[in-house]
Amino acid sequence: MPAIAETAEQHELEQLRKEHLMLDPRPRGEMNSLVMDAMQTSSWKFWVVFAVLSVVVAVCLFYVWGYLIAEGIGVAGLTNPVYWGIFLVNTVFWIGISHAGTFVSALLRVFKAEYRRPFTRAAELMTTFGLVQAALSIFMHMGRVWLSYWMFPYPNERMLWPNFHSPLSWDFLAINTYLLASTMYLFLPLIPDLAMARDRSTGWRKTFYRILSLGFRGTEGEWTHLRTAMNIFAFGILPVMFSVHTIVAWDFAVAMRPGWNSTIFGPYFVVGALHSGIAAVAMVLVVIRSSMKNMKYFIRPEHFNALGRLMLIVSMAWGYFFFNDYMVQWYGGNSFTDSLLHFHERGPMGWMWFAMLILNVVVPWATLWNKKIRSNPWALFAIGLGINIGMWFERYIIIPVSLTVNFMPFTWREYKPGVEIPLSIGTLAFFILLYMIASRLVPLVPVWEVQEGQIAHTLRKVGKETIVSVAELE
Amino acid sequence: MTDKLSFLAVFADIDPAVHAVDRLRGLGLSDADMNIISGIPVTQTMLGRPRQWTNVPRLALGGAAGGFLAGAFLAFVVPYLYPIHVGGQPLVAGPPTIVVLFELTMLGMLAATFLGVFLDSRFPSYSPKEYVAQISDGRIAVFFECPVEKETIFIQAMQASGAESVQPAEAQRL
Amino acid sequence: MSETKIPAFKANLSEEEKGKWGLVVDQDLCTGCQACVVACTMENNIPFVGETDAAYGRSMHWIRTERFWEGEYPEVKATPFQPVMCQQCGSAPCEPVCPVFASVHSEAEQLNVQVYNRCVGTRYCANNCPYVVRTFNWRDYTRPEPLNNQLNPDVTVRRRGIMEKCTFCVQRIRKVEDKAEADGRPVADGEVQPACVQACPAEALVFGRLDDPQSQVSKATASGRAVKLLEQLGTQPRVTYLKGGSDYARNR
Repeated sequence: MPAIAETAEQHELEQLRKEHLMLDPRPRGEMNSLVMDAMQTSSWKFWVVFAVLSVVVAVCLFYVWGYLIAEGIGVAGLTNPVYWGIFLVNTVFWIGISHAGTFVSALLRVFKAEYRRPFTRAAELMTTFGLVQAALSIFMHMGRVWLSYWMFPYPNERMLWPNFHSPLSWDFLAINTYLLASTMYLFLPLIPDLAMARDRSTGWRKTFYRILSLGFRGTEGEWTHLRTAMNIFAFGILPVMFSVHTIVAWDFAVAMRPGWNSTIFGPYFVVGALHSGIAAVAMVLVVIRSSMKNMKYFIRPEHFNALGRLMLIVSMAWGYFFFNDYMVQWYGGNSFTDSLLHFHERGPMGWMWFAMLILNVVVPWATLWNKKIRSNPWALFAIGLGINIGMWFERYIIIPVSLTVNFMPFTWREYKPGVEIPLSIGTLAFFILLYMIASRLVPLVPVWEVQEGQIAHTLRKVGKETIVSVAELE
Repeated sequence: MTDKLSFLAVFADIDPAVHAVDRLRGLGLSDADMNIISGIPVTQTMLGRPRQWTNVPRLALGGAAGGFLAGAFLAFVVPYLYPIHVGGQPLVAGPPTIVVLFELTMLGMLAATFLGVFLDSRFPSYSPKEYVAQISDGRIAVFFECPVEKETIFIQAMQASGAESVQPAEAQRL
Repeated sequence: MSETKIPAFKANLSEEEKGKWGLVVDQDLCTGCQACVVACTMENNIPFVGETDAAYGRSMHWIRTERFWEGEYPEVKATPFQPVMCQQCGSAPCEPVCPVFASVHSEAEQLNVQVYNRCVGTRYCANNCPYVVRTFNWRDYTRPEPLNNQLNPDVTVRRRGIMEKCTFCVQRIRKVEDKAEADGRPVADGEVQPACVQACPAEALVFGRLDDPQSQVSKATASGRAVKLLEQLGTQPRVTYLKGGSDYARNR
């Protein structure tokens, strides 16, 4: 009977609208207000957290780092033969996190995954701030950091250029390229939103956005140049992203150490970066959604569902690469590698090795099959946190734990962290603090991209089913 | 040379804006006298407008070439400036060369793309411009120049096409 | 004993395979007295790191005497002592990984050279050394008076953040070569003695020119007992070990 069928159809449409942001368009002006409101309203809780983090950063990061520089690396836990420890673990960890942003804004754009639209900027911010922490961690571990500019290629009176045979010089080039490229890629799609913010602000904010939006209006020319550039960036930054973590992996893979000299480290690290990165994006989105106004409109369970699926696939990929590396070492029978593997699993840090496998593989595989779990923000937060801890453990196993075992058994010695611990806490606090500052200054959701997507999505009836149809906008 | 006036006709949606553009063409304006300003990128094909030029791809290629040359300098020229032998490897070795060339080529390409946007769009530009704030709220504005004596005809044509407002375009500080 | 061949695509160096300066360690003669460690420390201004840092493994001795044993107490069998210092590899893994060219190959002496002034302390070289012979200045270690009078003026003093390692007492090599040139004569075999070689009471360490087939080191490397440490890694070390463990050593 027509009346009932109509209500059922309306109900179905209502469901689709509630579930999918792309099918739930609101007037652009309203969406702009939601984003501006979220950016400009700060509760007292925000300021408490801000104050606490500022203190933590001031003490644990800047003061302790000053102490490290003044006293020497001796206040850290490094020793012979473990010359690299938590500083490098943090470096690799933060570079891994930074890959999340590029993955979301570039890879998902290239594959036209529409669900990326509301959170590309949130992810790209993670890239920039993650790379800042990685850079800080690299500087922290250097013995004479005040001379670190010698790694920059410039003509000098010493007639010395950097040694490009060294993976550290490749690191320098790759990380700087990636940092510049992803900051540029963060800024380009931000320009139209800064223009929107300029039009809707007063006072110091208006001046700030006026300057940063560069005079953007939205003319055909401006959009063409911008979108062409964004397309070039989306394709171009992907090889850079892969090359960065591969080069970081080569820091270890080209070395003559049992357990390090492995050909699979390149792709293994890239997949590991994606693993921790996507989990970190999920965590950040959960926090944004629950703590900022109006974000529940933009970030919905469907996004967590999609991220959860990605987390599951990448977790499988990580497990594949880990097993490749492990199985080949285990089978080979080289006595040093055998000692190393034994030390990993049954040494004092054996609990970390097992925890790594449980958090990186067992937990995701056991939970992320279920759509309900994936779509639940806090469940995904917990699983994502577990993955990030597991990936940090993985790098800890690879760096200080593997360095304990080498070709000269007389020198084997365990690593006990010193000031690395407050410095690690400091970098984490600094990351969150930078993010919080950015959330007050920059519209976190690229509203123009969301609206672009909403225009592209329509519902049409095929037979008795209403399906979602996505247009391919040029 | 008749005097020209410029107008901004603001539309709420793409379809009315496209009709308006057709009407303007019918009234004798060339495509160069019109510009569409919008809050989301509306493609040229949707608008029925001629293809917009952009130098960005060419600049990207140029940047890639520049980056490649910089990388080639670091990889091929620099080791001979003060030859230092390390680790049994030749002065110019294969794998490091590839890494250096790749990274600097990509950096050159992406930096040139970014700067190309600035160059092509003449960013940053803080001089007064014709603009209304509703554009960033999702409106589509058609900016056109028409002869003074035909002012009323044009305004009526825009309103007939469904313009929310037709105002003289004043260059104002953004 | 077969010589490892340098692959043609590697090692564009002008040195020949045998290299110039070499050291021989006779493990049958070494008593494990560690006089070499002490002499090296005195000669090269190696800092004293203090009790805590030493317990944590941060002693900066450029040469160490490794000792191993087999079995459980009281049936413990001692194996020959193994003094390990920088092997001055011909194809040194510590060299290509330094981003600022602080670890380079000297073509004159054909040694691996650590340039203190260039070092920024990334410590990659130490990680890549398979012999784990490089040490790092974790802090500015001080010499309370009057110990500073003991410093050797021929060797620089290093500050915190710098890697260092055995140099085959290159300052002694230079001194002897300079004197020989001033005297107008070639350097005699055995005239250059690094501190460890000079101090060894058992004369277990021998130093000389590997490219001179008549020198003591060349003859020793031709011995049937000659082995190189971690030879399979292809580092081409300049230090040869004369395998110990003969009946003569065990029954002493």
